[in-house]
Amino acid sequence: MQRLLAIAWLTWKAALRFRLFIVVAALLLLSVIGLPLLLKDDGTARGFTQILLTYTLSTITGLLGLSTLWLSCGTLARDIEDCQMQVVAVKPVARWQIWLGKWLGIMSLNAVLLALSGISVYGLLLWRANKLPPGEQAILRNEVLVARGSAKERSYDKEIQDETSRRLRERLEKNPISTADFKEVEKQIREQVKADLQVVPPGYSRPWQIELGIAKNWLHARPLQVRLKFNAADRSTSGTFYGIVRVGVPQKTKLYQSDTLSLAPDTFHEIPIPPDLYDDQGILTVTFLNPNNTALLFTLDEGMEVLYPEGGFGLNFARGIGVIFCWMGLLAAIGLAAATFLSFPVAAFFAMGILVLVSSSNLLASTIEEGGLGNYNAEKGGHTNTPVDWLVIPVFKGALNLINLAKEFSPIDNLSTGRSIPWSQLGRAFAQVVLLLGGIFALGGVFIFSRRELATAQGTH
Amino acid sequence: MSAKLKKSLLLLLSALLLVGVSQVQRSLNVDRDKLGFTRVAPLENAPPVLAFTTVALGGFRGIISNILWMRATDLQENDKFFEMAQLAQWITQLEPHFVQVWLVQAWNMAYNISVKFKDWPDRWRWVKGGVELLRDEGLRYNPNEMLIYRELGWIFQHKMGQNLDDASLYYKQMWADEMAVVFAKKAPNLDELLHPQTPDQFQRLNLLTNKYKMDPKLMKEADDLYGPLEWRLPESSAIYWAHLGLRAAKERPAKVNKEDLITLHRVIYQSMQMSFKRGALIPNALEKNFDFGPNLDIIPRVNDAYVQAAEEEVQMRDNIHNAHRNFLRDAVYYLYLHDRMKDAQKWFEYLSKEYPNKPLVDGKPDSLPKTLTLDQFCVARAIENTKSFMGKDEAEAFIEGQLRTSFIRIIEDRDAEAKATERLMEQFHAYHQSQVPKERAGPIGLRPFKDLQRQALNSLLDPEKGLRPEPRAILRSKLGLPAETAPARNTNSAPQKVTSR
Repeated sequence: MQRLLAIAWLTWKAALRFRLFIVVAALLLLSVIGLPLLLKDDGTARGFTQILLTYTLSTITGLLGLSTLWLSCGTLARDIEDCQMQVVAVKPVARWQIWLGKWLGIMSLNAVLLALSGISVYGLLLWRANKLPPGEQAILRNEVLVARGSAKERSYDKEIQDETSRRLRERLEKNPISTADFKEVEKQIREQVKADLQVVPPGYSRPWQIELGIAKNWLHARPLQVRLKFNAADRSTSGTFYGIVRVGVPQKTKLYQSDTLSLAPDTFHEIPIPPDLYDDQGILTVTFLNPNNTALLFTLDEGMEVLYPEGGFGLNFARGIGVIFCWMGLLAAIGLAAATFLSFPVAAFFAMGILVLVSSSNLLASTIEEGGLGNYNAEKGGHTNTPVDWLVIPVFKGALNLINLAKEFSPIDNLSTGRSIPWSQLGRAFAQVVLLLGGIFALGGVFIFSRRELATAQGTH
Repeated sequence: MSAKLKKSLLLLLSALLLVGVSQVQRSLNVDRDKLGFTRVAPLENAPPVLAFTTVALGGFRGIISNILWMRATDLQENDKFFEMAQLAQWITQLEPHFVQVWLVQAWNMAYNISVKFKDWPDRWRWVKGGVELLRDEGLRYNPNEMLIYRELGWIFQHKMGQNLDDASLYYKQMWADEMAVVFAKKAPNLDELLHPQTPDQFQRLNLLTNKYKMDPKLMKEADDLYGPLEWRLPESSAIYWAHLGLRAAKERPAKVNKEDLITLHRVIYQSMQMSFKRGALIPNALEKNFDFGPNLDIIPRVNDAYVQAAEEEVQMRDNIHNAHRNFLRDAVYYLYLHDRMKDAQKWFEYLSKEYPNKPLVDGKPDSLPKTLTLDQFCVARAIENTKSFMGKDEAEAFIEGQLRTSFIRIIEDRDAEAKATERLMEQFHAYHQSQVPKERAGPIGLRPFKDLQRQALNSLLDPEKGLRPEPRAILRSKLGLPAETAPARNTNSAPQKVTSR
């Protein structure tokens, strides 16, 4: 451990010697202080807080990410090129300890910088929030500066599957179909079955029974929000549709009914509802009345959910920063791994290339979805295949799976929309991003570094 | 030559070249603009940061703008609007002379984003954001672009003025509230802003010119040309900005697209027609807010606008004539309803002269102008408005409802309208009775007009179900009825939304 700490301390000294720490700390503080002066918000305290959180945290992530890559590539590659590593390597320190020590040094540096900038953002948010009128403060504390959990209706997957199988059997008995069409027919029947659960016809209502689980124990006297989104079967001249939300069950719970709301389709709407409308079992019944002349469709996955306060903003913010810290851990591992066998500029270029690959994961996903690299063929109605598709698509799939392990977390988004980042998510981020992905790069880096003949390294000056 | 002297000479030379090039640059910019070599004209009135950014980024501006635009689209699809104002500002500032960028961003804010919100104040903020983007920023960098004037006018006319959006009444109220501050919460008086005397008038002039970017001289000009206009309503602003667009077109006739001119004219015509139908704000004493009423003084100007439009838009002439005829029929009916009988008769004659072979009543081909009097036409319009001949109960309910309205008008000091409504209903009553066969007069004939009138009055004066005490007292006083004696019960308790178990 002492050897690891010694190497980590050397990394700190290098960062201080290069004035990297001071420069990055100054840039981070400048962005935290300067951005609120430059940003144009939508005119609400909520909007300002959201944009402030998004832009400051994105800037912090970007700045720290770049400095992490730079430092991790530089600290190892330059040590080798300047022949300083050769001096360290002859001491009784294993190569893996050098690698890991440098990683720990960079991460401890990141921890300090993240803590510094995180505390500044948090303090700034609270300071600004406290200067707002009480009404605005209440909105902020209920919708943004809070960690909101989400509850949805139970899954209907089993019922949908059973009903789909039953209807498919009936269909096959009446009209046998070819094997080629089987999947398509099954898909169509499944969509029909789902439609029965998703569609609210004109003039009808649809209740959702949402179980709050153990959250009911701490939600007494606390306001909740119904979050809904629907698609419309037709367009309306106003661009909106009417809807009424009722919450509660007559004779059983307290009741709430909204005014007639003017709601846009394909948009999430959050509707605050009074506290204590759920029953003794913690089931909240939300009913949507459709007074329009067209059917409205609430998808099963995101059509209706209830948001409830789950915890404080402070701890949620810390967990969000924790996820960003995990990303930095991966970047440090990538940079160090690249520096083990490449010179500083090439290692930096390599690490940046990986970032570009990560940022273009949408392109990979669409290529996989289309099934090949070929262009769209309007006559055949599909994409033409290329000779390299058999290789490219599996490689893309593998890369995308790996990228998604790191990209599936969105702490900035969650924090700016007041959504909870549970401990389990932070734990998963650590396991997936640091241990698994970072571990892969660490193993590769340590393996190469251990076998590298340091004496052959050519100094650049 | 010493190094010091050489450096000094070089410095002097560079300074001379810099001065020289600045002179050439000016004429080059003029030539470039004149010859149409480039769309990128030098920015005027831009803050230093923007001027520097646009020059420093050069051709990369387009790429950055595209990236920002893609982010804006992604965010919008994910219902994250809090960044949109910032992104719109960056995108437009990166391409300040690209008119379509301003138009699309403003349209997106006013039309697409606004309706994504369920609360009216949120919607209003985005509609206003679209207006501000064009008015405060777009026109600042592109003061001669007619399309920006047209778009600005359109948002006022269509988004705020018409009622397609469920929140359109709220928009009108908010705009009226903002304009009320400019006009000191009284009927707009442009003269006091043209020649301000008091500090308050100077302050309001400052608000009008700096915040709303409106010039009282040009407002007066538009008012003289197309008015009188009610400046607290959005359609008046639509007319103002379209008028400014036409002025800008006059200054650069070589660069004017004829289609753009027509669209500007349309904004004016359509807004004038809206002003005629509900271009007057009438204080509602009962609700302590404003009602909309027709602006009858604008009828001659609207008529002129139709005549001019028919001359200008040859391909649309038939449609414009149809619209003109409908407008004249409305004008006559509205004048009649407001007891301006002389004007009603004058425009009725004009209508008869302009369209002698067109029926006056829909669905009745024989209702040619020469076959109907003014009274007959207006009664027919009242019936037409009720869509079909009504049964006894429906007709009595209709008359009683209209008579209640006429009593409300009395409370509001709109006596002429009240009198006209009463007279029209009396004629409607007589017409209805005349259509009832004599042998069926008992079962389907209407009750006497006076009975219906008394019933309407009693329903309003009923202490339990009628008006609130204050308007009841006003009505009694104005009709010369004795004062009320029994105490009134308070019936305005608020409905409960949340009930207990």
